[in-house]
Amino acid sequence: MELTRRTFLKLGAAGAATFAINGSLSGAARAMELKLGGKDISRLTRKERQAIPSTCMQCVTACGIIGYVEDDRLVKLEGNPEASNNRGRMCARGQAGVNQVYDPDRILYPMRRVGQRGEGKWKRITWDEALNEITAKLKAVRDGGKPEEFVFHYGRNRMSWILDPFMNAFGSASVGNHTSICEASKFVAQQSMWGPYQDVNDVANAKYILVMGCNPLEAHTVHNALCQRVIDARAAGARMVTFDVRLSNTAARSDRWYPIKPGTDGLVALAMANVIIQNGLYDEEFIETWTNVTVDELKEHLAQFTTEMAARESGVPAADIEKIAVEFATIKPSTVISYRGMVSHYNGMMNERCVMLLEAIAGNIDVKGGRCLKRTGKWANPFGSPKEAKAKIGAVDPKKDYPLAAHKVAQEVLPRIGKGEGKVQVYWTYCINPPYVMPDGNRQMEVLKDEKAIPFHVCSDAYYSENAALADLILPDATYLERYDPETSPSFTIVPFIQVRQAITNPLGESRPTQDVLMELARRLGIGDFLNGIKDSAEYLRKAADATEGLKDVGGWEYIRKVGAWYDKGKKPDYKSYAKELKPEDLKPKSKDERIVVDGKTGTVYKLDKDHPDKYESDKQYVGIRIGGKYYKGFKPYKFPISGKFEIRSALMAKYGFPELPTYIPIPTHQSMKPDELILTTFKVNVHTQSRTQNCKWLTEIHNDNAVWINPVTAAKRGVADGDLVKVTSKVGSMEVRARVTEGIHPGVVAVSFHSGHWQYGRYCSGKKAPAGVGDGEDRHVWWKNFGVLPNLIIPVATDPIGGGQAYMDTVVTVDKTQAGRG
Amino acid sequence: MADKRFGMVIDLRRCHGCKACQVACKSENDVPLGVWRSWVKEVEQGTYPNVKRHFLPRLCNHCEHPACVRNCPTGASYKRPDGVVLVDRNKCIGCRYCIASCPYQSRFLLADEKVADKCTFCAHRVDQGIVPACVNTCIARARIFGDLNDPNSEVRQLVDSHPVQVLKPEAGQSPSVFYIGADDNAMRGSEAG
Repeated sequence: MELTRRTFLKLGAAGAATFAINGSLSGAARAMELKLGGKDISRLTRKERQAIPSTCMQCVTACGIIGYVEDDRLVKLEGNPEASNNRGRMCARGQAGVNQVYDPDRILYPMRRVGQRGEGKWKRITWDEALNEITAKLKAVRDGGKPEEFVFHYGRNRMSWILDPFMNAFGSASVGNHTSICEASKFVAQQSMWGPYQDVNDVANAKYILVMGCNPLEAHTVHNALCQRVIDARAAGARMVTFDVRLSNTAARSDRWYPIKPGTDGLVALAMANVIIQNGLYDEEFIETWTNVTVDELKEHLAQFTTEMAARESGVPAADIEKIAVEFATIKPSTVISYRGMVSHYNGMMNERCVMLLEAIAGNIDVKGGRCLKRTGKWANPFGSPKEAKAKIGAVDPKKDYPLAAHKVAQEVLPRIGKGEGKVQVYWTYCINPPYVMPDGNRQMEVLKDEKAIPFHVCSDAYYSENAALADLILPDATYLERYDPETSPSFTIVPFIQVRQAITNPLGESRPTQDVLMELARRLGIGDFLNGIKDSAEYLRKAADATEGLKDVGGWEYIRKVGAWYDKGKKPDYKSYAKELKPEDLKPKSKDERIVVDGKTGTVYKLDKDHPDKYESDKQYVGIRIGGKYYKGFKPYKFPISGKFEIRSALMAKYGFPELPTYIPIPTHQSMKPDELILTTFKVNVHTQSRTQNCKWLTEIHNDNAVWINPVTAAKRGVADGDLVKVTSKVGSMEVRARVTEGIHPGVVAVSFHSGHWQYGRYCSGKKAPAGVGDGEDRHVWWKNFGVLPNLIIPVATDPIGGGQAYMDTVVTVDKTQAGRG
Repeated sequence: MADKRFGMVIDLRRCHGCKACQVACKSENDVPLGVWRSWVKEVEQGTYPNVKRHFLPRLCNHCEHPACVRNCPTGASYKRPDGVVLVDRNKCIGCRYCIASCPYQSRFLLADEKVADKCTFCAHRVDQGIVPACVNTCIARARIFGDLNDPNSEVRQLVDSHPVQVLKPEAGQSPSVFYIGADDNAMRGSEAG
């Protein structure tokens, strides 16, 4: 479409109109007579507040939001009705985003440590001093010829658009992340089978929802979008069955809750697959055409996983497994929502492979109402692309021990640095809090305190976290409400979208977005060619928007800064994307050194070029798949060079000595448990995100102290009554915590949330003011005095040997009533 | 045409206790820590493994016959023609009669101002044609707000077409907040909030 002023104005007006109300978006509820949102009125002045759309970052869901501003102050956040995933709604965490900006314990200027590391003595310095110091250190690292000794370790990173080229230009691939303390094992399993990591359960169109180790009504990686569609589906009559060790709100809102022994979900999935295969309820066309196994092979392999065997191991009755299997295969569309409760185990990667198998044989892969591949939007990138850095220290990516851990092994980064697996000169942390979020926090802290292992620790944070307290230099970061990023997220409408994150208010005090700091450092270090002259993140985003396909046709930056989100309104969901036939030109070489060849055995169509002259060894070579003389898009590999079919049988697994077909791997530490031992699992609540929302007073007012859930039978054996103090002991430590005696938990399990027990992070969650805190916030109204416990401190580092994920849900513990708890 | 009578329907078949309403209210109305205009009650019942948890979002019922208004000695508590029950802070003397007389424990005293406070149905928004903040953000779209006197309104139609419940009907207050699919145990004893 040609963009004229006339069309632009027309589109702009349409955007503004849908801003106010869009009844069709509201699911079951029809348009109300009053407007649902899109504008906000001051309670005191009754004047309309200024509205600025942006994107939330209270969790990773990336909901579209509108910030309302009054007298230059952010006063309210709401969901953006133009955002197709969250459709104008926002959870409790998102609503509390205002607290992130005005936290009285926010760090508002750069600080340099003056006492011992961790002693808590700081001196305020200027940005110029801070940047001079970092520049000098990083220059020395680079000039020394070992750029990999600069390690950047991030947690929630929505700024890879600047971090990746910055690190590449610097020459260091020593980049740590945090995926393996969440769902890395799930991702690795998916990459081994259908290519991309992550999935979208198209529950809005499902009639049968099986939940395994996930709590989508309280937390999920795309929580709000999934949650509201689960509710819509349920209201439309969909059945829901949940397997969980504890009665989560999801379990509570299901038709049936099955408490299950931790780490046996994969076996139950295999037994269901067996029932489906033996009863002829499978999708023959999908299995025979699109997977790399035959029905007969599956029949033979699955026969060993009887419902009786699964019942013995999992505690779920055999008859129920059979019934659910038949329902799953016959009440269509159906899908399995599986997440951290199922994959944060020693056998987590394999559990996900089992569930993927179950979805595949039931014919649920990338179909309406099934388990879909993710669709995400694509922004233009106005930066140059520096050559990919390869040099890295072993500690950040221990491939020698975990060859398939494609998302790295975050929980082992610091322990391995402590053991000397790679020298570190500068360690920069961003939006990560290892002492709190990683297992065995005490070990993580020992390394952070060790000035030989980590000679210089720079921390970018807006708050005085447990990690910031162990830094040498703290750079005051801007919050997500004061900065710019290109955003997208897996789409639950199956139509990709993009969203803007833009500053709703200016950064408070001297805080500065880390994005802008990295750009400034690139210039100071003389590695800023890739910036293409762009001076800051706001300019980057303007240029990106004006160059983004589709968006640029409706006005680019001017459109998205006002509307907040963009997707192609004419696009329909493209289910079964793998079955799309390739065009003749897709099969032609793109240059004269390229050759397109077909693997006669697997059907994989791939290219050979100067980087890969003789064999298929990189996902970048993949072109498509030949099936029955036709060429299809297939399952496009990501990282692992798989065939392009849905790989139930995995040559990749076999190559490293892992089982090639989905199977059951019993958890070693659970096989020799003594009668009085229990399994400790942890969980999230619906008003917090991991470690970084507890400074929000409105959330911590709801969830501050935490208690360990224990079944009445288990409690009675130990003489424990509701509210008693108990001691929970693992092989790496113990904690004293209140008992919540509840019928809503498996008798062999105790469970505790992991959002409490901060010893820093400001007054609202630790009772301690930050050294740089300003003002007294709402101190006089704080009524809670207990800040709870952090279970991560007693959970050992335990890595899934295949997927690399941390096994948070496996810890064997004893639980005893404490002296204080007696009488 | 008859006056409007604003009311709310909360569909508990959709509510999953996410507390977005609870925080939206704090933010919209600048409610201090320690007190709530809007909150979610949870009730767990049953024996392992047949256990259920029910949610009951609570707020002022904006009753048709509000005891708080009757018992206010200064006229600070009043009911508008559209049914919204409010407190005029300039007239409130903080005597707590209204707090004591509300059968739903929906009122509290603001510690700093020493005046009674409670949910206003976000009158400042409703007066300008926008739903209350809790309705705006409800992830489940469990909250429906509108004019009960309008036969075409969604709230009226829901009330007419569903078996709806109100809290403590025996108190004779005629609440304007209706529940669909509420659990009997959750509805009982809800004066404790």
